[in-house]
Amino acid sequence: MALLGFLIAFPLLVAIALMAFRKDSVRDPLVIGSAAVIGVASVACAVTFMGNPSTFAMTPEMSLAGNYVAVAVDLFLCGLVFALSIAYRNGVMFAMSFVQLLVSIWCGSFALHPEDAMAEPMYIDNLSVIMVLIVGLVGSAICIYALGYMKDFQHHEDEAARRAGTAAADRRHQFIALMFLFLSAMFIIVTSDNMDWLVAGWEITTVCSFLMIGYTRTPEARKSAILQINLNMIGGLAFHIALVYMHVVGVPLSINGMVEVAGGAQSAQLVIPLMLLSIAGLTKAAQMPFHRWLLGAMVAPTPTSALLHSSTMVKAGVFLLVKMAPLYLLYPVASAMVVGIGGITFVLCSFMAISQSNAKRVLAYSTIANLGLISACAGVGTSEAVWAAIFLIIFHTVSKSVLFLCVGTVEHRIGSRNIEDMDGLFSRLPHLTRFMMLGIMGMFVAPFGMLISKWATLVSFAETGNVVFLILLAFGSAATFFFWAKWLGKLAGVSQKAENVEGGVHRTEWTAIGFISALLIGCCVLLPVISQLVIGPYLEVTYHKVPRLIDVDNMIIMVAIVLFIAIVLLTPWGRSSKARQHVYLSGSCIDADSRSYLGSMGRTMRSTKRNWYLDDVFPEAALTRVGLIVCTSVVLMAFAACFIFNPELLTGGAFFVEREVLLVGPGLPGIALGVVAFGVAAPVLGCLLDGLDRKVSARMQGRVGPRLLQPYWDVRKLLGKQQTSVNAIDEAYVTCALVFCILAGGMFVSGSNLLMCVFLVTLATLFVIIAAYSSRSPWADSGADRECLQVMSYEPMLLIMTVGFFTATQSFDIARLFSLEEPIVLSLVPIFLGLLFILTIKLRKSPFDLSYSHHAHQELLKGITTEMTGRTLAKIEVMHWCESVLFLMWVGMFFIWDSPASIPVAVAVVAATWLFEVAIDNNFARTKWQNCLKYAWLVALVVGVVNLFYVLITPFI
Amino acid sequence: MAYSSKSPWLIHYDGSSCNGCDIEVLDSLTPLYDIERFGIINTGNPKHADIFLVTGSINAQNIRVVRHIYSQMLEPKVVVACGICACTGGVFRDCYNVIGGVDKAIPVDVYAPGCAVRPETIIDAVLKGVEILDEKARRIEAGEVLTDPEDLLDDDAVNARLKAMEERE
Repeated sequence: MALLGFLIAFPLLVAIALMAFRKDSVRDPLVIGSAAVIGVASVACAVTFMGNPSTFAMTPEMSLAGNYVAVAVDLFLCGLVFALSIAYRNGVMFAMSFVQLLVSIWCGSFALHPEDAMAEPMYIDNLSVIMVLIVGLVGSAICIYALGYMKDFQHHEDEAARRAGTAAADRRHQFIALMFLFLSAMFIIVTSDNMDWLVAGWEITTVCSFLMIGYTRTPEARKSAILQINLNMIGGLAFHIALVYMHVVGVPLSINGMVEVAGGAQSAQLVIPLMLLSIAGLTKAAQMPFHRWLLGAMVAPTPTSALLHSSTMVKAGVFLLVKMAPLYLLYPVASAMVVGIGGITFVLCSFMAISQSNAKRVLAYSTIANLGLISACAGVGTSEAVWAAIFLIIFHTVSKSVLFLCVGTVEHRIGSRNIEDMDGLFSRLPHLTRFMMLGIMGMFVAPFGMLISKWATLVSFAETGNVVFLILLAFGSAATFFFWAKWLGKLAGVSQKAENVEGGVHRTEWTAIGFISALLIGCCVLLPVISQLVIGPYLEVTYHKVPRLIDVDNMIIMVAIVLFIAIVLLTPWGRSSKARQHVYLSGSCIDADSRSYLGSMGRTMRSTKRNWYLDDVFPEAALTRVGLIVCTSVVLMAFAACFIFNPELLTGGAFFVEREVLLVGPGLPGIALGVVAFGVAAPVLGCLLDGLDRKVSARMQGRVGPRLLQPYWDVRKLLGKQQTSVNAIDEAYVTCALVFCILAGGMFVSGSNLLMCVFLVTLATLFVIIAAYSSRSPWADSGADRECLQVMSYEPMLLIMTVGFFTATQSFDIARLFSLEEPIVLSLVPIFLGLLFILTIKLRKSPFDLSYSHHAHQELLKGITTEMTGRTLAKIEVMHWCESVLFLMWVGMFFIWDSPASIPVAVAVVAATWLFEVAIDNNFARTKWQNCLKYAWLVALVVGVVNLFYVLITPFI
Repeated sequence: MAYSSKSPWLIHYDGSSCNGCDIEVLDSLTPLYDIERFGIINTGNPKHADIFLVTGSINAQNIRVVRHIYSQMLEPKVVVACGICACTGGVFRDCYNVIGGVDKAIPVDVYAPGCAVRPETIIDAVLKGVEILDEKARRIEAGEVLTDPEDLLDDDAVNARLKAMEERE
């Protein structure tokens, strides 16, 4: 209790102290010291209460005093906003704050009754512990970061003011004080059981963020701040009305007590409050149609973005939703609304992030999208979904705050937050860029948080028969890959003669970025521990069951991969000392670093390549409109449903079929054996297949063709060539890709996890893409772009395939196939056909061999492999062999069941499929990328909807 | 074991020419001649190629390009001059802007004359080149360092040749 009181009161005191001391020399030690104290206190709190959920009793007088304070704070803030609305002369803000003032007076008048004082107004459980850690560690690290950042920021302001002939006011003390106030408010939110108290913290965060967004007082900042407060007041209003409603109907205002009420006689009375609280949570979490405030908030200084939009404020919204998750299992309308809005927001914002060149806007959209995913998980309400949501909260916080902090510092170093200007950053800001790459990988790459969260999400959507959202998830994830990968590629470009401009980065900034990066890696490494000891007990208390989705062996492999990636990125491992060579610029390169070449008539030309924004495919304005309309109608329909349907239906519980995930994987020794077997057999088989492919193709064209072993000779020759490369690192990336590919294959043949196998293949492809981007060659860059597009094209189908596999076998483990009574193809014919379609893309066959082709001439030279030579190219070839074998085995798995006869059947099908692909390759011309994307997505959509509806809805009929 | 000869990948460059030899090179890719029988692939990328197949003569415009492409190929590598223009300058020899055969720009290993050079000759020349490729691979394996001409990317050397060309005029 004392610890919680300290956590809430201490930042408050610091904030007051900061308002008093304006000198850097006092402020710096004060902030660093108090941030450290908060960090230590939150860790102490975690150690005390982890696995030890407690409630804290208070004397009625004290509890009532707390109510008085909360109401006073609430009224003060409403009054403040009302006064500000007059100062800003904004009509909407005026009207809304007036209404809110009235409602909060009404609400407050209830809270002041002595009988409303709760006996145990505060609590802490494992979810709160996680939130306390997030706020206490990440939040206070961001406060430290703000010190250095705001010095630079003020410096820029002063410069600008001097040029304009005025003086810039130094209001940094207010800014940093606000940040501490914010931390205090967050601690209140995550530990208050009394919702009257919670709403006070809620309103503090709203007003703080209003002030921080408007910090620069430019017209743009003011506009964004007003937009923020207007949209958040909708949430605040909804929250207050919910409280008034609960007061009136006599439901206790305990956030933990709601679950008990929901099961009891008062069940129907929670329908409306739950809807309103969901709206409050969705607003705070910046979900459509309320999402625009988060985009506008990007004008604020970066610590604001980092604090508000990665770790604290938006997390308050999803925290509320996750707290209410068990209720969504009972109230289908509220569940449908939250899942609907979350899912649509996830997919649309992922699409819109593709078209953004402003780094902070990309981060903003991806934040909204991720919060959408978390909301959707919370809205599903099953234990698996909550497990996923909590993991998403953790990983999103650490990854996104690293990214925000890095982008902020980069902006001060290079004077731009445009992704185009981050070309070659790998050499200009070497350390910062590596942290940024780590953060980006944390956001979307397999072994980091995303994989397991998606895993659980897939399971929980499958349990509730939520076909539409499985499809949304599949497409949204594919778009996520595209926009992160192309940004990653821009960062990864290595220029040979770039000047290192990292010198001016403040120590405080390094400390914060380094600390949070360490947290990111730590969270990944401790993943099994977090799952077992933190989230498990929470779910045990809430749901009386702990989901077991992933075998321990798989988790260990994930941890190993994260460590491996961290080593590749952060240490000099694998850097080659091969002779350097210029990129290929059609033989007329003048300067490789600036990519300039000799054009016609002796002119010097420069080859420039921008990122790929696909504006015409994913137009931001149109998608925003669609999102606003659809999500607003979802909200309206949900509320209408609450009044139209009878209470039995409204409290009748969601559709739900328990699907226990069977874990039948082989364990670590089995996987190790599989990896060795695959590593030996797949290259041999793949090489023969490739040779056969060339032979058969030649025969189809009326030629003799090369020897059967030609691919082997090619690779042997490549290994013997002189070793040169365009930079020191590309071979390391390709080696990673090869390792991941063999690991994926090994997991498959050993009968381990299919989803993991699919994600590892994507990870391998990502590393090839980064290797190509690192060369900064126009050919390789375009090839890598197209490879990203290809991944985006086939990824939805692969996710749908794994869901289909799961529904047909009740497991993600391949070994399960051998105990089935019939092959899975019998229920998954459409998905099988869809897989055949994307197989053409995955095997790099015409008409979809966009990024790289075995055929004679391509408009992109050798596309993604243009700058890879000798040994590096040989590794790519071997990887291609392994991939081909693995993909064909995916085809074969559809025909395996509990019978020895199934093996020959599967082999025959694989052979037929392979011949079919070769025939397609020889009979179609290469198509445009638009067609690749269009047809692949269309096929995935159609077969996905048809097949999943069939297999997921059947249990309900 | 010599692996280079089993998998000779080409890059083809056409200099000052009537494009006759150019077409013949493409001819040899057709099913009738099918150079893929020998593992030959037309890569179009110097970094992947073992054999530099040049048709047409060297002129003031392309001398730098040819030298640059050659410099971007990895050892062991072989240059095959296809057609009489590539060998000596051919009918363009006395043009105001023509410097001469490919050997004026880079060291040539195999000369394949003809106007236009026949596909059979091209295949024959490439297979000759393959032997030299193996030979070079053996020398590299024995520890010998094969070096490119030192002045390959040097402007002075090109300028000297251009000056010689102008003086000839």
